[in-house]
Amino acid sequence: MINVTVKCFSQVKYAFGEDQFILELSVGTTTLELEEMVREKANGQLDDISLRIAVNQKYTPIDIKLNNGDEVAFIPPVQGG
Amino acid sequence: MIKIEITEGLITFFKNDDSRKQDGAELIFNGRVRATEHGDSILALEYEQYEGMAEVELTQLAKNTCEKFPINDLFCKHRIGKVSVGETSLHVVIWSKHRQEGIDAMSWFIIELKKRVPIWKWAILQDGSRIPSECNH
Repeated sequence: MINVTVKCFSQVKYAFGEDQFILELSVGTTTLELEEMVREKANGQLDDISLRIAVNQKYTPIDIKLNNGDEVAFIPPVQGG
Repeated sequence: MIKIEITEGLITFFKNDDSRKQDGAELIFNGRVRATEHGDSILALEYEQYEGMAEVELTQLAKNTCEKFPINDLFCKHRIGKVSVGETSLHVVIWSKHRQEGIDAMSWFIIELKKRVPIWKWAILQDGSRIPSECNH
């Protein structure tokens, strides 16, 4: 098993009510598989929200395997300015 | 040269610089918090960042802008935390030889900022409640 930290911002934080949480995952779990789990955990609150994935603070445009200790953020549309 | 700063508290604007002899254009953009959000009155916006990544992405964007357009310098300050109505949340200054490249660079920089820099807004409503902003403008 591996542990990853999921960072929560904006609508993701609103859905879960916390800044971050830790998930224990099977070895070989990928970013897209984790996204499915996170969306399911949100009980529909993220259904209409597009999410970009960042692993260890870098955007990850492709599906990759996660490693123990990774920090993963599901980034809703950004709104700076 | 670029300068990037993500800061809490009131923004101190970059100082006027009359020593520049090769820059015919100095573009200044100040983004300010409006009093309404989708028609509802608000007290303030609260800006949230992905600490670390936001500054890295903003710095990379500034570098990309300087590579893409023939400008000389780009300075940017972005505020996080609570920003009251009327206050400046984003301050950008671009210097270039001629005006058009500066205007084009400013426009592109701000459009891209709103696509890739992990910063978000929460609207603070009149009753004090706090909800994610729906505004992407």
